[in-house]
Amino acid sequence: MRADLIKRNIKKEFNGWWIISLVGAVVILLPILFIFSSIFQEPNENWFQIRQYLLKNYVTNTIILVVLTGIFTALLGVTLAWLIAAYDFPLKRFFRWGLMLPLSIPTFIAAYTYRTMLGYTGVVQTTLRNHFDYQINAEMLTVSGIRGAVFIFTFFLFPYVYMITRAFLESQSTSYIENARLLGRKPLAVFYKVVLPLSRPAIVGGIVLVIYEVLGDYGVTSYLGIHTISTAIFQTWFGMYDVNSAMRLAAWLMVIIVGIFFLERLLRQRRRYHLSNKSRPLVPVKLKGLAGLSAFMYCSVVFLLGFLIPFLQLIAWAKMTFYKIWDPSFFTLIYQTVYVAVISTLMILILSVVVANVCRSHSSFSFIISKCVTSGYSIPGPIIAIGVLAIFISLDKWLAPIYSLMGLGEAPLMLSLSLIMLIVGYFIRFMATGFNAIEVGFEKVGTKYMEASRILGLGVTKTFFRIDLPLIKGSLISGFLITFVEICKELPLALLLRPFNFETLATKTYQYANDEQIYEASISSLLIIAISMLSVIIFQMIGKKVKQ
Amino acid sequence: MNFSKLIKPFLVSTVLTIGLAGCSSTNQTDSKGEDEASKPKTNENQEVNIYTARHYEVDEEIYKKFTEETGIKVNVVKGEAEELIERLKREGASTEADLFVTVDGGVLANAKQNDILQPVSSDIINKNVPENLRDVDNQWVGLATRARIIAYSKDRVAPEELSTYEDLTSEKWKGKLLVRSSTSLYNQSLLASFIELNGEEKAEQWAKGIVNNFARQPDGGDRDQAKAIAAGTGDIAIMNTYYVGLLANSEDPEEVKVADSIGVFFPNQETNGTHVNISGIGLTKHSKNKENATKLIEYMTSVEAQEFMSANNYEFPVNPNAKKPELLESWGDFKMQELNFDTLGEHNKKAIEIFNKTDWK
Repeated sequence: MRADLIKRNIKKEFNGWWIISLVGAVVILLPILFIFSSIFQEPNENWFQIRQYLLKNYVTNTIILVVLTGIFTALLGVTLAWLIAAYDFPLKRFFRWGLMLPLSIPTFIAAYTYRTMLGYTGVVQTTLRNHFDYQINAEMLTVSGIRGAVFIFTFFLFPYVYMITRAFLESQSTSYIENARLLGRKPLAVFYKVVLPLSRPAIVGGIVLVIYEVLGDYGVTSYLGIHTISTAIFQTWFGMYDVNSAMRLAAWLMVIIVGIFFLERLLRQRRRYHLSNKSRPLVPVKLKGLAGLSAFMYCSVVFLLGFLIPFLQLIAWAKMTFYKIWDPSFFTLIYQTVYVAVISTLMILILSVVVANVCRSHSSFSFIISKCVTSGYSIPGPIIAIGVLAIFISLDKWLAPIYSLMGLGEAPLMLSLSLIMLIVGYFIRFMATGFNAIEVGFEKVGTKYMEASRILGLGVTKTFFRIDLPLIKGSLISGFLITFVEICKELPLALLLRPFNFETLATKTYQYANDEQIYEASISSLLIIAISMLSVIIFQMIGKKVKQ
Repeated sequence: MNFSKLIKPFLVSTVLTIGLAGCSSTNQTDSKGEDEASKPKTNENQEVNIYTARHYEVDEEIYKKFTEETGIKVNVVKGEAEELIERLKREGASTEADLFVTVDGGVLANAKQNDILQPVSSDIINKNVPENLRDVDNQWVGLATRARIIAYSKDRVAPEELSTYEDLTSEKWKGKLLVRSSTSLYNQSLLASFIELNGEEKAEQWAKGIVNNFARQPDGGDRDQAKAIAAGTGDIAIMNTYYVGLLANSEDPEEVKVADSIGVFFPNQETNGTHVNISGIGLTKHSKNKENATKLIEYMTSVEAQEFMSANNYEFPVNPNAKKPELLESWGDFKMQELNFDTLGEHNKKAIEIFNKTDWK
């Protein structure tokens, strides 16, 4: 009886979509499994040393960072989303998209910029010193340690929470909020009693994205001198040449991540509110007088700190170093950055759509597949890089006979010297970004159109192209842009997996900044920001069109 | 029906993927079109491939000059030294890299230990670079050095108060000493050199003494230590001469002021000499363009290239015939620590362990 049921289920589910999802999951899991294969080896003496002196410190720092960043991004993201979605105040239309701009600044660039700007020779202290003859206690202003990292992460990652929550509130919450208002609830009560519980899945989704960024971060934490599990993996792997212990640390990181997975599921459980089928937009309430001014001030401060101030500072530095840094090779850098990002993003979207479509059945199989496919996001870039590198080199060795048949000579490294390796690295790392956007799209649409179409006799594939794809167009575009921006900003994978003579804007920036040449890094930083900004603007324009 | 249901989406996505891969490969050659034309794959004599952890404009310039002079194209992959070593190990015999370049003696020794290099033999190189700045087995050759010196506040410290690295642990510097994090290779190699010269126990005592005298928890890079002296957070700092040079030649007048406010002191002149970080270049074990690679090493150690590098990157030249720029000249000559660089690699692990034990962040 049971076996029958399982058989029937498999038969029902088993189709081409299913197979592609499986293949995608395997490609993504292979390098990761490779990394974990060494975990079953005996721990060595380094590991005991790490456990004795460091592990507690690493884990505590990581948890403190994650918790604090989580709380602050949630506070900032949700309150801003609510203000923008539900109210009208001066410059609101500008802030609506302006508050996404902090995402266009890679966190490691933000860290360099703020640290230098607030440092002893930075504009703040210099002005105080030279014009007001006031020497502030330098340590007070220093962006360093956990305090500095939380500041940077909060102001440059909160848009994840903001964007997802705002989109949800604007389109999904109207009837609840209007009812609550009609029934006489005060704004604060509406926020606590209706908005917060209602948008919990969206908020949690945003926070989880932020947390992955923090867990996988290397640039900010290593620059600001915080030992986290992620920096410790670098340190043990490359400093102590101890792959085995690095793997063990990675396992610790995975424990945290798996914990977050389940926490997220738990928090999102039984919270599917895609009921409001007529998704009327929320009509904003006009804020007058002091209330409007406060809302305006709040948004302005966040916008200034999260975007305008560092942006202007970078422009000032770029002006200072332009004459000696700028040369036409920057055009090649831009081209290469955009080119590799576009290809990787397209590949990610294709698999995302397939897997997300499979996952709408909410079976335990689809749950596992979706988690496998998105697992790369939680793994630090360098670890993925080494995994990918190893797999490609063995692939090349395996394909060597074919190469020599093709007349390419003895055992050349065809694949591992090509751009494909970097693209696969991005594919693994950023699958989750594309996938989450598309999954949200599917969740918003619900399953009723698809079910209707299936009942009326269309197959899965036809239904998908005729019904689902047009319905999730908006999510496709947002998924594309988010992933694209992420890839343009990405650092460790690009550093490790790019072929000869291939540089991206991020690697160029890093080279300068790593050598403490912050001013010289400003031009390439600005170019990354420009590309990201352009994406946000396109996103905005298309969003408007779709609405109309 | 069932079959088509099974195969259709598969087909669709295969076509899409192939399409993408297709345009990816054509575009890739497009983007490299120009380069490709000048380096036909069959003619191996025309190129040399470098994995480098030195990310300086000045290196690029020297490669460019080399190409101009010899017609040999230089291809560069940049990365962190340790990552590049890992990559070379994994690529094994199939690697395309001919040369490995990095900044630190400990890392060079590690590359050697990992068996990814081979000896270079060239009379020109041996003439250009003195023996003490080459690997004992000639597996790598020095390119430039930086001294890890004591920087001091000109206002608050008289150079006479300074003497040795060891003296930095004495009571008089309590709360006045600045140094960056122990994750920095520069500090790891410094401690590794003490393990070699003074023994493990003394080295650990030294690290403990330094931690006791911290003006603040290690924060930022070498430049930040100099700035912290200027800001009054501490009076003395352990840092590299290279960064003093960068500060003194910065675009930012505030940074120049910082450089002006600090003095450079070469410690241990009366005893075993000042510690140096050496940048080096090594021939990879499986190099396919050995001849070109040797030529490039010869060029990079030549007086011309060395003077250019020193003038633009504020490092000490390894070629004794190369002239130093004014700033470096003004610091005078100094006695260098004498040790086999291999030992820096050997003791690196121990050094990290000591840092961990003594809580040097």
